[in-house]
Amino acid sequence: MIRVKNLYKTFKTPNRREVKALVDFSTHIQKGEVVVIIGPSGSGKSTFLRCLNRLEEVDSGEIIIDGQDILAKKANINKVREELGMVFQHFNLFPHKTVLENVTLAQLIVRKRDKEKALKIARDLLKKVGIAEKESVYPAQLSGGQQQRVAIARALAMQPKIMMFDEATSALDPEMIGEVLDVMKTLAREGMTMVAVTHEMGFAREVSDRVIFMDGGQIVEEGTADHFFKNPTHDRTKLFLSQIL
Amino acid sequence: MVFGKRSIITLAVLAVILGLVYYFLMNRGITYIWHWEQIPQMLFYYGTRFAYETKPSLHLGVLMIGFILTLKISAVAIVFAIVLGTVLGICRLSSEPITRGIAFTFVEIIRNTPLLVQIYIIYFFAGSMLRLSAFAAGTAALAIFEGAYVGEIVRAGIQSIHKGQAEAARSLGMSYAKAMRHVILPQAFKRIVPPLAGQFISLIKDSSLVSVIALADLMFQGQQAVARTYSAFEIYFTVAALYLVMTSTLSMATQYIERRLAVSD
Repeated sequence: MIRVKNLYKTFKTPNRREVKALVDFSTHIQKGEVVVIIGPSGSGKSTFLRCLNRLEEVDSGEIIIDGQDILAKKANINKVREELGMVFQHFNLFPHKTVLENVTLAQLIVRKRDKEKALKIARDLLKKVGIAEKESVYPAQLSGGQQQRVAIARALAMQPKIMMFDEATSALDPEMIGEVLDVMKTLAREGMTMVAVTHEMGFAREVSDRVIFMDGGQIVEEGTADHFFKNPTHDRTKLFLSQIL
Repeated sequence: MVFGKRSIITLAVLAVILGLVYYFLMNRGITYIWHWEQIPQMLFYYGTRFAYETKPSLHLGVLMIGFILTLKISAVAIVFAIVLGTVLGICRLSSEPITRGIAFTFVEIIRNTPLLVQIYIIYFFAGSMLRLSAFAAGTAALAIFEGAYVGEIVRAGIQSIHKGQAEAARSLGMSYAKAMRHVILPQAFKRIVPPLAGQFISLIKDSSLVSVIALADLMFQGQQAVARTYSAFEIYFTVAALYLVMTSTLSMATQYIERRLAVSD
């Protein structure tokens, strides 16, 4: 489903220092696979996600999604993004639109669905994420957990083939993390292809097919969640896990 | 009502100033005979306009005719200033260096030359080449001048919207244009209502400058009336009051719009 080969990405800081965010990064994600990416901050996890839908442009490398080279000059990035749902750490809901409008907007103007169909899809998804009764309020009136569930519904409304979660629970109060994780777990069990950057080890353990541990823009270690939590091989991985668990 | 110590001081200072003004007017000032009775007929009058009008009826006086033209000029200029300003604001943020450069240069030239000079240039130069009426030339000059300022306001408004909004919109597959139209600009416009209102109030006041190209706006009609009657004080006070009516109405309308837009906060 996603083939990534030899990605390099360097950022320039304001004081002209270069930060290597991705260094010769390669991986392969199967259809239906749930991949969790963990690692210390600055290890390039989020950058990798953001390169997958070209919110960041890579310096070099290859990204093939569903057989299409998305870095090619003639690739229509907007079409690619329709198939790649993304959920952000800070939700990024549209504050001037109601919950329902947030979930229907892209359906109407990007997918060009008729209004009735868009509304039905939106309402079904809002019900699924457990927030149907809030459809006519504005995002500012919702709690963080509720906002993030709306954001997930908004991404799902495009009926993407892949869902990406960029630290979707990191900005939430502790008591709201559960409700968002539950939605993510449901999705994972339904067979959605997912790439999630997260610090939630419980999530990784319960539903992930593979865990990737990154540091310094590279994959240090990868394997099943079981392998990770029972017998990690690298010292760097052991150190990281000992610090967060 | 109970006044604090500070309001008593403020009132005392105000009383002294007014007293001094009165003293100078009475003892050192000019001798002026007020003719306020001329003013009402400059607003509305009941009578006949032309020899062939047999029945008298209610007509607009010269100042009201000028007032209406000023309203028209301002309204048209505001619409075009918004359009031009939005385009300029977006171009200023373009990733294309040439587009950005042109917009920047345009804004700088317009903002750094006097409006009066621009009105003359557009009227005499562009106006005679393109055969523009005084109305078209005056309105165009105003729209261009204020549009440059609006462009900077729009640019600041767009930049004030968190970049996560653009990222969310683009990651849903929206093109740059769709993200702008449906996500960024509506939020930016809400935020720039107060500075835009200030700019449009300036526009209404600046519109008095078009009187120099014989466009019979409120200012022009006022000047003509002064030349006819020599009642400079009364007429200019009235003209000022009429401008104040327009600007304060706009001000109140803005407050209403701000309250309406605040529902999603």
